[in-house]
Amino acid sequence: MANTPKFPNPSFWKYKDHMDWSAQAKNLKEVAGICVDMAKEADWPAFGKHLLQGWKDFGNRAADEFNIVKAMSREEQIDLVLNGEKHLGRLYKAGSMATVRREWRGVRDTAYDFYEWGHNWVMLLTTFSKDLVPALNSMLYYRWMVSYFCCHSFMDKNVIGLRGRALRMHHELLFPVFRYVAENLVFLAKTDAKNGNCIDLNKKLVLIDEMTMGQIMAGFPDLLGIPHQLLPVFLVSELDQLTCVPYIDAVESYGLPSDTCPVPSSECGALVTDSLPHSGCCFISSSMPCDGSTMASSYYSRRFPDVPVFHLCFPVRYLDEETVQCGAEDIKACIKFVEEQTGAQWNWDAYFTAMTRFNKETDYELQKWEVNKTDYPQLIGPCYELYRKWNYEMDGGTDPRILKTCEKVNKLLMEAYQAKDEPWVGKMRHRAIVWSCPAHYYANFSNWAANCWGIDILVEMESLNFTKHLETSDKEEAMRDLARLYERMVMRRHTNGGYQNVVDELWKQCEDWRTDFVIMYQNVACKNMATLQGILDEQGRARNLHMIWIEHDLMDPRTVSRRTMRDKVSNYMQTVMQEQPVDASLVDFEDDVTW
Amino acid sequence: MKDLKHLIYFEGLLESANNELVQQAQKDGKLAMGYTCFHIPEPLLNVDNCFSVRLRAPNTGSIDIATYYMSNYTCEYARALTERAIEGGYQFLDAMIGVDACSMMNRAMEHFELLQVNSKPTFFVTHTDMPYKVTDYTLASYIKQMRLRVLDRMTEVYGVDTSDEAIRKAVKEHNEICKIISEIGEMRKADNPVITGYEFHILCLVTYCCPKYLIIDKLKETLEELKTRKPDEKPPFRARVAIVGSEIDDPGLTKLIEGCGALIVSDRFCFGSTPGREVFELSDDEDALTQVCRHYMQAAECARYISDEKVAQRRETSDRLAREYKADGIIYEQMKYCDYWGFERTLVAHVMTEDYGWPVLSVDRLYITQGSGQLRTRVQAFVESLEIKRIHKEEGKN
Repeated sequence: MANTPKFPNPSFWKYKDHMDWSAQAKNLKEVAGICVDMAKEADWPAFGKHLLQGWKDFGNRAADEFNIVKAMSREEQIDLVLNGEKHLGRLYKAGSMATVRREWRGVRDTAYDFYEWGHNWVMLLTTFSKDLVPALNSMLYYRWMVSYFCCHSFMDKNVIGLRGRALRMHHELLFPVFRYVAENLVFLAKTDAKNGNCIDLNKKLVLIDEMTMGQIMAGFPDLLGIPHQLLPVFLVSELDQLTCVPYIDAVESYGLPSDTCPVPSSECGALVTDSLPHSGCCFISSSMPCDGSTMASSYYSRRFPDVPVFHLCFPVRYLDEETVQCGAEDIKACIKFVEEQTGAQWNWDAYFTAMTRFNKETDYELQKWEVNKTDYPQLIGPCYELYRKWNYEMDGGTDPRILKTCEKVNKLLMEAYQAKDEPWVGKMRHRAIVWSCPAHYYANFSNWAANCWGIDILVEMESLNFTKHLETSDKEEAMRDLARLYERMVMRRHTNGGYQNVVDELWKQCEDWRTDFVIMYQNVACKNMATLQGILDEQGRARNLHMIWIEHDLMDPRTVSRRTMRDKVSNYMQTVMQEQPVDASLVDFEDDVTW
Repeated sequence: MKDLKHLIYFEGLLESANNELVQQAQKDGKLAMGYTCFHIPEPLLNVDNCFSVRLRAPNTGSIDIATYYMSNYTCEYARALTERAIEGGYQFLDAMIGVDACSMMNRAMEHFELLQVNSKPTFFVTHTDMPYKVTDYTLASYIKQMRLRVLDRMTEVYGVDTSDEAIRKAVKEHNEICKIISEIGEMRKADNPVITGYEFHILCLVTYCCPKYLIIDKLKETLEELKTRKPDEKPPFRARVAIVGSEIDDPGLTKLIEGCGALIVSDRFCFGSTPGREVFELSDDEDALTQVCRHYMQAAECARYISDEKVAQRRETSDRLAREYKADGIIYEQMKYCDYWGFERTLVAHVMTEDYGWPVLSVDRLYITQGSGQLRTRVQAFVESLEIKRIHKEEGKN
């Protein structure tokens, strides 16, 4: 086994930028012009009134909260100080992007939460300072970059209502995802032809489709692999659901039907509006996970005709072992392509080292599942789900720092399990599974369902992927294993390859996790799932499962708002289950523009 | 023009998937192999005592039951097939050869299984994996799929002879039909063609939907008739168009377009002649299955093929056909809710205008379109724009 190199390769930061300063000045002038126009067109008296009203609301809210606390009994006041607040709907204000304040979680947990808040800021500032000018300059080119300023709101909303070890585990899991995003944002800015224009780093940069798993880059430790659309489109939309709306509008104006999945639509819209960095020496596109995504690559080639593209395509009928070799051959062809474009050589030692790490990470994941299947589930909620997805799909064992996170989290997990902790203290009523294309990152749905109705979402479809250990010695079998892994990427594992993978599999998982609720996310544009709607419904009813169908349109909240999504659950709980909410303040609130 | 002698007969055959020739063939002891997609090489379903029926759902009315199963924002072709299957309209089939090329069609085939729409004890549905690009290893995988999931299944269940000789014989018969259709198709290159796009579409459709040995005589007769057919001195058409896009098995659509004054001279769509009705000869140097599979991969114009060379091929084919058949413009169409053609049509409509200089009408449409006033208006507007362009050109303006 080769020595584990530092990650990311320190030399990547050191390559010299070649910014075209006159172009930057021209762009700055244009942006300044836009700002001046906006300032001229702004209704300043209305703005002033709005600001004043904001302060008044703040005063009224502070007075209300003071009175509420004052009206509490001594025991309730002590409980509030020690264990935090219980009416979380108060944090939201109609028409406001941010919550009115951060959550009070009790002295100890609030202090820890602030520590993590600071920890993240330090990491962000340190990372961005490694090449500050192009990183900040990105904001002058790309509107999505500005949305990253709400990353702390994203952190806050994803840990809402959590206490104790659960809060710690969630922060531990979210931090590496934030770090990954920060590092790659800087690299993208550094390499973008109209920004940092770092020629040397571009020679090392292989862009991959955001729907292609990152493991293939493990065999190229001297290269940098970045999922091209992940940061400008997919991930940022989870921070701010409104980010991709202009891209969707742009591509629909261009002619794309509005019935397509908003993920490839947003990607194509970003390409149509020239909103993706022009980076890298080549691009690995993909046929995954489904029909819509397959087609986005021709939009890439239209925008960046100078970047060579390899189309990594895997058989759809992946359970048919006869197809595996075709996938393995395509991976080999892809490796050859990367070698030709970059001059780098595939390194088996580096690959096997990373996959050994990935196998260990899979073991940690399975341990989490075992605990969550018990009567005392511990690690549930969106941070865990997001981490799992990122770790499986993007990191894939390439970053050696991640094992430490796994170790730390699983230690906390076992302590919490032995102590029979509750992630949302005193709230758990139902065990649920999320199926189909999940929208809970946009709507913060798992947290809301737990805090409002006591529905604990133990697992989601996208977490339940390939758990077989990847081959780490036989080279030919390693390629076949990698093909098997890629064929079972997030989403594709279930929505492709036959109805059994998503219908029969759901019933099996419901038994394994002993769930009584199925939160069935119905992405109105996902044809793979929509075409099984009747079968799922029929078979679910036959099994006496509570299936709550929740329509959504991923990053396009105009089709279905978050409030409408929540109403589906609330209506079901009130009318069918005849239950009262755990936290009535969360049953109905407006968050149309809230981060 | 004088009506074609067999046109009404051909139109009648298209009124039902289980038409009189299909019934006749089954009486002759033949096995009906249903399929929907070009990705399944047609000659493979015509080996030995089998005949292929490319599925349509003519006279589709309500698709409510299929919509319950497959939701209302999915491909209407897939839903219409499912609905017709539930109604028992495909009870005559002996097998359904499915492709996992697009998710909605795959799901339609899966519903054939799940809902047990065919009660024949030997009826089977098989699913095959399709390649996304043309390479040695994808060809090898494609061949394996055709052998294991199609031919071997036919042999296992029905004892069908799927040997090299049987495939060669099927290709030979396939080519006889293709020769006739190709020769008729060439006639559309004339300045004043003796056949309309609608008539050609009807002829093409019957070759996909009927047993070939029962239709070939009337096709030959039609070819001879066309050779002496006199075109109208002043044809009713104001422009010539090429159609490119997804599945069109509804002759009502071609009738609608031609009713707006646009003569369809080229048909680059599924159920059309390009590809699908080109002659391909087999050599003796290589096994027949490999050659058939290679031909179908190379000829495919499906938007699902993702690789750069296939993307370029599709654009070049559209341009070439439009030039060869002297089209004034191109209509890019897609079945509504088709992801592949939705993305392809949008981008390529711009590419064909910007890079190739073609006037393009880009539309999405429902499965049954005959009554679509909206579509008629758009085609009429396109025809007018083509006329204006021609007038400007004649007057030397840009």
